[in-house]
Amino acid sequence: MSNVEDNKSSHDQLSSQVFLDLVDSVIADVASECHRVARLGLDRDLEVVEEELRLSVEARAKVADPSNNLETNTKYVVDIFGQSHPPVATEVFNCMNCGRQIVAGRFAPHLERCMGKGRKARAKATRSTTASQNRNSRRNTSDNNQLASGPPGFEENVRKA
Amino acid sequence: MARSVKHSVNRPPTPDEDVRDSPERDELTLGEIINIKLVESGEKENLMELVRDRLVESGWKDEMRIACREHVKKKGRKDVTVDELIRVITPKGRASVPDAVKEELLDRIHNFIRSAAL
Repeated sequence: MSNVEDNKSSHDQLSSQVFLDLVDSVIADVASECHRVARLGLDRDLEVVEEELRLSVEARAKVADPSNNLETNTKYVVDIFGQSHPPVATEVFNCMNCGRQIVAGRFAPHLERCMGKGRKARAKATRSTTASQNRNSRRNTSDNNQLASGPPGFEENVRKA
Repeated sequence: MARSVKHSVNRPPTPDEDVRDSPERDELTLGEIINIKLVESGEKENLMELVRDRLVESGWKDEMRIACREHVKKKGRKDVTVDELIRVITPKGRASVPDAVKEELLDRIHNFIRSAAL
């Protein structure tokens, strides 16, 4: 009887040993596979994570770095579409008062002179009837709508009406 | 004809077969005998395949691969060695084998040992 029990426990031990041996083999396989993937850089996810970590560390350092010339950057800052805007608007269009081609960035000062805001700016203003008629009609209509008004012909129509 | 035969080749005397083999046979442990029988009968191959299948379908292999990746991330992928990875995941690997899988395998191994009639 005791022999059978002895056999059984030694059998158990043997079985466990065989079992552990099998599991160790599978573990070695997995380790070998992972080692290969790691060394060959086949694990794209790993690389992506590493790259992102590196970039975020770099970005953080850049933001925290006070020596960066933020002022120069804001003048020619690039927006999300990759376009950079010069500080002065450069688009050219026709002034609806005098019909000249004006740079948008210089339009306000031009308009001051063009419409004769102050007598000084336009001291030599042309005294032709057209010019004074235009000026009069504009004073009658609302100032807010000046820029939204149509081409010079429009005012003459308004005047006639 | 008392002259001894001239040997064309100098060779040491052939050792006795019996003297050489039996000490080896005595030294083979029971475990080694079982292993040899397992391999010779092809049962070891079957068991390996069974273990692999069960461990893959239970997700154990994926867990081990994740553990490996974690270690590789820590150490940097250029420095890891196979031995290191084995050392790192073996304790966790042995412990996390699902009970059902372990039962099934031990059962089969038991049967084999019994049928090997030792």
